[in-house]
This record gives sequence, C-alpha cells and structure tokens, in this order.
Amino acid sequence: MVAPTLQGGAFQRTAGYIPHVTSPRLEFTDVRRRFGRLAVLTGVSGAVEPGGMLHVTGANGSGKSTLLRCLSGLLAPDAGKIEYWEQDREDGAPLGMEERRRRVGVVAPDLAFYAELTVAENLAFFARLRRVPPERGLGVLARLELPLDRMAGALSSGMRQRLRWAFALLHSPRLLLLDEPFQNFDAPGERTARELLAEHLAGGGLAVVANPSALDFDHAERLELGR
Amino acid sequence: MRNASSWAAEATAVFVKEWRCEFRTRYALNTLALFAFTTLVVVSVSLGPLGVSASQGTAVLPVMLWVILLFSVAAGLPRAFVQEEETGTAMALRLAATPSALFCGKLAYGLTLVLALEALLTPVYAAMMNLQVASPGLLAAVLAAGGYGLAAGSTLVAAIIAQARSKGTLFSVLSFPVLLPLLLLSVELTRLAVAGSPAGVALPQLLLYDASVTVAGLMLFPAVWNP
Amino acid sequence: MKNPLAWLLWLWISAVIVGAFFYAPLAQGFIGESSRILFFHVPMAWVSFVAFIAAGVWSLLYLYRGRQPRHDRAAAAAVELGLLFGVLATVTGSLWARIMWNAYWNWDPRQTSIVVALLFYAAYLALRSAVEDDNTRARLSAAYAVLGLAVAPFLFFIMPRIMFSLHPQSVINAQGKVEVESRMVQVLLAGSAGFTALFFWVHNLRCRIQALSDRKSAL
Repeated sequence: MVAPTLQGGAFQRTAGYIPHVTSPRLEFTDVRRRFGRLAVLTGVSGAVEPGGMLHVTGANGSGKSTLLRCLSGLLAPDAGKIEYWEQDREDGAPLGMEERRRRVGVVAPDLAFYAELTVAENLAFFARLRRVPPERGLGVLARLELPLDRMAGALSSGMRQRLRWAFALLHSPRLLLLDEPFQNFDAPGERTARELLAEHLAGGGLAVVANPSALDFDHAERLELGR
Repeated sequence: MRNASSWAAEATAVFVKEWRCEFRTRYALNTLALFAFTTLVVVSVSLGPLGVSASQGTAVLPVMLWVILLFSVAAGLPRAFVQEEETGTAMALRLAATPSALFCGKLAYGLTLVLALEALLTPVYAAMMNLQVASPGLLAAVLAAGGYGLAAGSTLVAAIIAQARSKGTLFSVLSFPVLLPLLLLSVELTRLAVAGSPAGVALPQLLLYDASVTVAGLMLFPAVWNP
Repeated sequence: MKNPLAWLLWLWISAVIVGAFFYAPLAQGFIGESSRILFFHVPMAWVSFVAFIAAGVWSLLYLYRGRQPRHDRAAAAAVELGLLFGVLATVTGSLWARIMWNAYWNWDPRQTSIVVALLFYAAYLALRSAVEDDNTRARLSAAYAVLGLAVAPFLFFIMPRIMFSLHPQSVINAQGKVEVESRMVQVLLAGSAGFTALFFWVHNLRCRIQALSDRKSAL
C-alpha cells in the first residue's frame, strides 16, 4: 500500500507503469488559491506519470474541487506551477493554461448541459467545438447506454452523470480530471465508468480523481488535502 | 494547429446552437418583441400623429425608435451569456470552445436578433407614427450599421456582467456609456434619412465605431472569458 | 509632510490660487469676478480626462503585462479620483454657467463630455462592487476600462457637430474656447500642471493605502 502524501509535504511520483514513455505527464508545484480571506489551497504539489492515477482525498472543504479546477485550467491559482506535457516537444515546454483546458477531460458535479437540446445534439455541438467527428460522440454514448433523443433537461441524475462522462471522453483526452466521478451511478453505470477509466490508464493516459471514499484502483497514488 | 475553416465551423456551431435553443424556448424573441411593442404602443399613444406636430415629429421620432431598440436589446440580448453562467453550461463551454469563435457565434446570433427586431419594428413604427422617410436606402444602412454596433457592444458587455452579480441593472449601467456614441450617430443619420439629406461624415464615423467595437471585442473577450 | 516634493506641490498650488485671484486679470465679457472659477474648473476637468486615459492604460497593463495587482489598484484609484475631479469640475462649471448664461445646464459639448465620463466612472465602480473574487473583479473591470477607452474618443468628435446642429444658438463659439490673455494662460497652465501633480500624488497615496489593505485582508 502507498502511504498518503500530506499537503505541503514532499510529493511522490506515481510509478511509471509504462516504462520509457515520458508523456503525457502532469506536475504541479506549490499550488495556492484563496477565496477572499479563506485560503483553500496552501501549497499543494504532486505529479502523475503515464498510466498513473492520483487519488485526491480529504474532508469536505479541503480543496479537492478547487485543486481539480486549477488543474483543468478553469481556475487560475494565486501561486504555484501547473505543467502538463502531452507530447515530447523539442523545447520541452508544457501546454499553456488555455490549451490545457481544452485538452483535458473533465467530470464534475457542476458540469451542466443544454436542457433544451437532446443528448445527441448536446454531444454533437461539443464535438463540433472540439473539432472531432460527431460520430465519436455517438460511439461513446452507445457505450454508456444513453438515450440519444432524450432532452438533457429530462435526464435522471444517473443519466446526467453518464452524459458527463461522455462529454469528458468525447475528444479522447490524455488527462482525465474527475471530481466525484461515480456519484449518482447505478451499479452498471459505475462498472462501465470504471472500465473506461481502466482502459484510459492502460492506454497510457493520466487521471486525477477527487473522491471522498476509496477507489479500489490498483497502484493509485494518494494525495490527501487537509488543514 | 487549428485551421481557419474549423474556426468558422466552431463559430457556426455556436450560432446554430443559439438559434436552436431559442426556437425551442422562444425566450429572447418573446422578450424583445413584447418589450418593443409595448414601448411602441406607449410612444404611439402619447406622440402619435395627433399628439405631436409634423415638424416636431421629424425631430423626436427618430430618437424614440432608437430608444425602443436600445431598451429592447437590453431586455433580451444579455441572456446569451448570462444564461450560460446561470444554468452552469459555461463550464462545458470554457472547456470546449475557442474564445474568438464563441464570441463571433454569439455576436452573429445577437446581430440576427437585432436585425429581425428592426425589420419587424421599423415598418410598424413608421406606419403608426405616420413617419415619412425620404431616403429609405440610407435608413436601411443606418439600421444595419447601428444594429450591428448595438449587437457588438451589447455582446461584449453581456459577457462582462455575466460573471457579476445584479446582472439586470448592471447591464444597462455598463452598456449605456459604451453605446452612447452609436446612439447619437444612429439618431442623427436616421433624422437625415427621414429628411432626405446626405449622410455626410456621420456614416463613416458610425462604421468606424462598429469597427472599433469589433476589434475591442475580439481583443478583450478572451480576457473576459478565460479565468 | 516630510517629502520635499509634497512641499513643492503645496507651494505650487498655493501660488496658483493666489495667481488666480490677484495676478491674472479679469476676462473680457465675464460678469464680475466669475472668470476666476475657470482657473480651477478647467484644470479639474483636464485632470478628470487624464484620469480616464490613465485608468485605461493601467488596465491594459494589467491585462497584458502579467496581471499584476498593482496595475489593477492603480486603475481603480484613477477612476475614483477621476470621478471626484469630474464631479468637482461639473459643479464648478455649472455654477459658472449659471452666472454667465443664467442656466445651470446647457448640454453643450463640454458639459456632455464630462457627464459621459462620469457615467463611465460610475459604471466601472458599479461593476467592481458587483464582483466578489479579486482576480475576476480586476479582469472584468480592466476589460471594461479598455472598452471605454476604445469608445470614448468618438464622443469628442461627434458631440460638437451634433450639439451645434441641434443648438445653433449656443453661446460658445465653434472651438468651445474663450479668448484669453497671456497672464490668464499662464495661470491656467500652471493650474493644470499643479492639479495633475496633485492627482498623481493623491493617486499614489491611494494605491499605497489599498496595497496595505489588501495585504492585511490576505493575512
């Protein structure tokens, strides 16, 4: 078992499960973020190697969601560095924040879709924005068993969670940032999601998962946030 | 790197999505039309053919037309960005869209809304107020150029206030100083169109204003939109 | 005041005040001593516009030179002071208009320009008060300030033409200027320089106070 890594302490790298591959890679150092007087993140560090997963734990309000939003580029940290490499570039430079934001796959509880559009229309829209063929969306939807012609506003909470996974995987991201990814799932849904996550990792992708409870994934590195 | 035709496809996707949602809810169309016609009735009753003399009419009526347009736009246009933030779909948009394409798609949507409103409102207004227009060509040009400026300025200001509180009043407070030059020029040109006088230097100034607002919008929108 | 520059500023402004009342002659065609107010009204209006430009420039610096909080503080302080000087300029101007033309307000180009500037300032401050998060507040208000900078110059070109087409009987001539003698010009220029220096001095103080306040709330 891996000992939990305390916030502010030395960060540990996940073991490289695909040796000799150096990208994609994620590293974040001394990330800080406050909201008004409240210091939510006070110097968090970590790294994820190809095929690795970082499991972020902590009590409510410890900053799990904030950290994930910083990693995904939806929130700019006050201080610290977040570096994400997708391919080995000659200059060795990581992706900028805006590019990182568009490359990652995100599942989060507050991710919402257009209630007046159907499931298929929602994904087709986002597929066009991401410049992937709309058929990709259909493939993912079939895997997650989502009804194509149901209005997104009429979905149950479990179905909405499946739609979030479909949105996250639409553009075949190399880094998945998952905030409570299994909430509202029924057993088949959770099974499918875990399969998808395992396939993603086996293919050399990265994942950072914020979940209050244990994930039961082998070889997941833990990062515990706390006060 | 993303190429130009994909950028256009993105902007078009945003435009199509806006109108698709709009046709299913008809929120903006209803708001704009209702507001415009209610105001029109008030103006017509108090200032109609019997209420004001012909010479006063040519001075006052162009102003009222643009006041009605301004307030209708303020009632119906900000929703384009405000609703994204309020329903939570802005998160997905931030993850998937290129800011410049998003801005242009929303701008095109706002523009078509304004032009549709003008096309509907102006003939009715002219008929109800017994307004004789000597240069309909110039009037059409003013409505197009002025309408564009209204849409462009309003779209950018809507993006700004969507991330603030008290969005309704804030939009009017912020947009009025920005749109004032546009209104002054449009009213002046409308008067000239009604009177049949040549446009003079005002029309190039209006076009220059449109260009300035467009450039400012394209330059500033990424800063407004990105975290 | 320990700073010798502050002493110099105090002396300079005092000299301007003295000069306004004793050194400069009365203007032709003005009622009584009313032209004296111009020596304060014109510099303050000038400073108000300087503040507008300065806020825009600092906002640009904030957005495109590293999002440094000090640039955001500087822009906000400039707007606050611009509002203050603008209100003072409007009040002194309308008092003078009452004496000269028996009407507090005329909607002539100058008055309209200052009112629109005040509207921008008020809108900027309203925006700031409606955003909680520091970074977002700085970003959005900087964008609005730059937008204002892009759009406001149109008013200076449009207003005179439109005003004079509406009110051909306006009392100010096409330049909006009044004939002045050289001594008046001296006091006017000295006053403008003095008030501009005053603006930057108070602005500096304001920024430093805000910086301390921000540091305190971060603790």
